Amino acid sequence: MITLTDLHKAFLVKDKRTRAKRRIEAVRGITLEVRPGEIYGLLGPNGAGKSTTLRMIAGLMRPDRGRIEVCGVDTVRRPEQARALVGYLSTDLGVYSRFTPRELLKLFGEFQGVEARVAERRGMRLLEDLGLADFADVRMEGFSGGQKQKVSIARALLHDPKVVIFDEPTTGLDVLTAKTVLDLLRVMKAEGRSVVVSTHVMPMVEAICDRVGIIFDGVLHGDAPPHEILARWQVATLDEVFFRLAEGERA
Amino acid sequence: MNGALLIMKKEYMELSKDRRTLFFTFVMPLILYPLIFLMMGRLGSSDAASRAGRPSRVCVADPSGVFAPVLRDAQGDFTVVPRPPGDVRQAIRDQKLELSLEVDPAGAEKLARNESLDVRVLYDNSDESSKLALDRFKNQLRRQENLWVQARLKALGASPQLALPVKLETVEAGDMSLFLGKLVGSFLPYLLMIMMYAGAMQHGIYATAGEKERGTLLSLLATSLPRTQIIIGKLLYIFSIGILSALINLLSMAFSVGRLMASTGAADAPAQAAVTGVAALATPAALGLTFLLMVPLGLFFANFILLGGIQARNTLEASTALTPGIFVVVLLGVFSMAPGIEKMTWLPYVPVLNVSLAIRKLFSQQGNGFEYLVALVMTVVLAGLMTWISTRMLNRESAIFRV
Repeated sequence: MITLTDLHKAFLVKDKRTRAKRRIEAVRGITLEVRPGEIYGLLGPNGAGKSTTLRMIAGLMRPDRGRIEVCGVDTVRRPEQARALVGYLSTDLGVYSRFTPRELLKLFGEFQGVEARVAERRGMRLLEDLGLADFADVRMEGFSGGQKQKVSIARALLHDPKVVIFDEPTTGLDVLTAKTVLDLLRVMKAEGRSVVVSTHVMPMVEAICDRVGIIFDGVLHGDAPPHEILARWQVATLDEVFFRLAEGERA
Repeated sequence: MNGALLIMKKEYMELSKDRRTLFFTFVMPLILYPLIFLMMGRLGSSDAASRAGRPSRVCVADPSGVFAPVLRDAQGDFTVVPRPPGDVRQAIRDQKLELSLEVDPAGAEKLARNESLDVRVLYDNSDESSKLALDRFKNQLRRQENLWVQARLKALGASPQLALPVKLETVEAGDMSLFLGKLVGSFLPYLLMIMMYAGAMQHGIYATAGEKERGTLLSLLATSLPRTQIIIGKLLYIFSIGILSALINLLSMAFSVGRLMASTGAADAPAQAAVTGVAALATPAALGLTFLLMVPLGLFFANFILLGGIQARNTLEASTALTPGIFVVVLLGVFSMAPGIEKMTWLPYVPVLNVSLAIRKLFSQQGNGFEYLVALVMTVVLAGLMTWISTRMLNRESAIFRV
């Protein structure tokens, strides 16, 4: 279970030309809840505040105001405990390419306090599910982007997190790898985990998300199943919701 | 603390996967210094031996023939060559000969009249062979002058000791080991500092700005490890690699210099004494106390590198920011080697420099317990303060997400 209450986050940005500092409100009053066994799609254009929101849930950033609870644990007051409940994946994340997937997973198992034997077993199972078992003992230096992404997914899920946060998990992946990721998300849902996914790929949202929230300019618009959002805005696709929001912004 | 040790383990595991870096960090110094000093020793000794076994080429302008017997007597030391055409100075610079003597044309008459005769010697101070020729000539001249003086005194019926009113006996009262201790003590802090900083810098950049650049830092921060432990783990890695690097370089250098001095020691008594002197000074107590001071200083440097690395956007920026640190360390080292700094009363209270001073005094057997403690406590406090700042910095989002 994830609970976000009136979340705010701002950054100071320096203008290169005037050298003046400007305050940018990246997240403005987001309130939402993701229940166990639910996949929540967070949509929005680049710079809308999706990644900032996800980083705050993952305990990588602190909100300026508001409250985040992961399975009842406050991410600000007890960040380590909260992070232990979260499996976080982002396209920004790299892998330690000098290691093999097996070595990496063993190490991260230790970081997460997972017993070595359990980490080995669970890690290998994840690699098998992701079709990477044959490469378990190969150094990752020569891995493709998709293979590295799969290792990152295994790393994020190794400690059996109750909450899964995937920030644009299929970006840059081929169709087959993307399908593997989507299948895995469905398994997560079936296992009763709370899953939050941010993406630009609308068919993916319609295929797997139980509910979606559209972030535009730091504000959450809608927070409903995809078909309800479409009906509310009287459009055929979620892309059109973006266009409407952008038009509203320009007006 | 367990988390910090896990992070350090991860850093060493990463390092162990890179054989080339391992080689250049730990093996290269073990090969490089002995090789350099061996070559220097070989070149130096073979050059000196070949010079010593070769007569110096001298051209002599001596119309009255005063110096012909002098040079003849020094058999094997000189070969009289004809005066080269053109400029004699240029000929010496071109190493066509080592020395040119121009003797007073009326030299023989002046000697007969018990007067002084003028001799002009041309040599090249930048050429070892030419300097050797001058030394040989001066030695030969001293012997000949003595004979001439004795002959003149005899002719006058005076005592041979007339020209020697004082017999001077010089006795070395100083302690060779004390002198060497001061020398080693002035060099050692400088070498340790520069090797610790330079040895740790690239590894520190890889573990901080490098992690940001490769996108792996976030995956580390997303784990349940407390950030303080992550930063302390990285700090321990940078610190330990700096200490290891400095020790390996220093041991290799000490071994090579020792070998070089010992190999020349058979023919060179001062070199032999130097080896014995340094060995006597490097007592376990002096080395232990030096190491105790180097620990907080190493932590201070490691924190400095950590801060530079964490604040940088990428490895290039970190490298650019931290490289000037080497020059600062060099400057500190040069200052610590300056003669007479131990007399500055305020120096024991200046951080970092007081470590140099304390090590200097330890090796010159003038250790001051109070000053040592001040240096130790100040450096420990400084290292602690820097560690606190580093942990605060890694908790700042502006540092982590500065990309």
